[in-house]
Amino acid sequence: MAANDKATKTETAKEEQASPILIQMGIFAAILFVSSLISPLFPATFPVPTPVIGLVILYILLASHIVKLRNVEKFGDFMISLIAFLFVPSGIQLAASLDILKAQGVQLVVVILIATIVLLVVVAYTTAGFIWLRKNVFHRDVNVEE
Amino acid sequence: MMTLTATAHMAAWGKWLGDALGTNAAGASAGNALFGIFLSLVVYLFGQWLFKIGKGFFLFQPLFVGMVLGIFILFLFAKAFGTDTATFYKSAYLPGGNIIFWFLNPATIAFAIPLYRRNDVVKKFWLEIVLSLIVGLVISLFVIYYVSKLIGLDNVGIASMMPQAATTAIAMPIAGAIGGNTAVTAMACILNAVIIYALGDWLVKFFHVNSDPIGAGLGLGTAGHTVGSAKALQLGSIQGSMASIAVVVISIVVDIVVPPFASMMGLI
Repeated sequence: MAANDKATKTETAKEEQASPILIQMGIFAAILFVSSLISPLFPATFPVPTPVIGLVILYILLASHIVKLRNVEKFGDFMISLIAFLFVPSGIQLAASLDILKAQGVQLVVVILIATIVLLVVVAYTTAGFIWLRKNVFHRDVNVEE
Repeated sequence: MMTLTATAHMAAWGKWLGDALGTNAAGASAGNALFGIFLSLVVYLFGQWLFKIGKGFFLFQPLFVGMVLGIFILFLFAKAFGTDTATFYKSAYLPGGNIIFWFLNPATIAFAIPLYRRNDVVKKFWLEIVLSLIVGLVISLFVIYYVSKLIGLDNVGIASMMPQAATTAIAMPIAGAIGGNTAVTAMACILNAVIIYALGDWLVKFFHVNSDPIGAGLGLGTAGHTVGSAKALQLGSIQGSMASIAVVVISIVVDIVVPPFASMMGLI
């Protein structure tokens, strides 16, 4: 009973700590706005899309404890939970380029299949190589979990 | 006579619907955004339902079903209106689609949160993670480039294939900048996830990917995006956390590596 009570208390304390959702949205909006101002500064041959800059800014703000998890995680986790749905218009966009699919659809799908396998295998083995170096050449610990 | 009445009915119905969707207007740009939003939700929810009753059959992934069904519905509507699919898409679907698409901005930057939650692992292995993803991506890009050439893709097709390891919202603008077709790149990102979902277990076994758990995680996150990181979590918690880190970091690596690679290969 007492333990149960304590659990409820910490839970309410946590609830109190989380920033109001409008504040969380405000933080996201501010980061996106600043990112959209920075993005056009990069040359056209080296584009850095707004979300890349926003991602880096939010990570830096979190890592430097300027923004706390409780300030952003409720809205952020909600947005991430929607991500598959948010991709639907990107997929349907193909309706405007059906002629490309008609011309080289099969080739594209074959390349995508090969690319997926190549990315998986090459990245996995490259990583294994670097981890091997870390362990056997630099003698540093390779345990992920403490 | 019968057919004539039916045609007249169809025409009246078509005019009403056309007005409602905004496709009758000259220039046809100020469409009704609600159609695009509604259609996106319906096809995606249908996909979720199909995935559930299909017991997770790989072609029934909600996003994939949503894409195919959505395009098919637009195709049918376009036929009914006597216009082509691309025009109907632009006038009727795009206004609503763009509203949903906009929300990818906050959703993509939100990925900084899971990355930060794994900050202990990131801090310890950042050099290996960044080096592995850069070197792995450059090698993969060479392979993808020459495979595309061999199979006979034109430069637009090849450029569309380059940024697919990044998350869709980041891959698309990069594809556009290096002369690719953003829609094809989006399709590639979606198919990556479908393929990893379908063949992931088999590929991991066949290529002994899991001989290094950190490598398995980074590989699955790179190749299969968020679906890949769900697969990786099934292999173990090390793989899972590495994959969720890879999903984010590879997007930044793609942004740094792909444009110079494309100009080196003469794509831009």
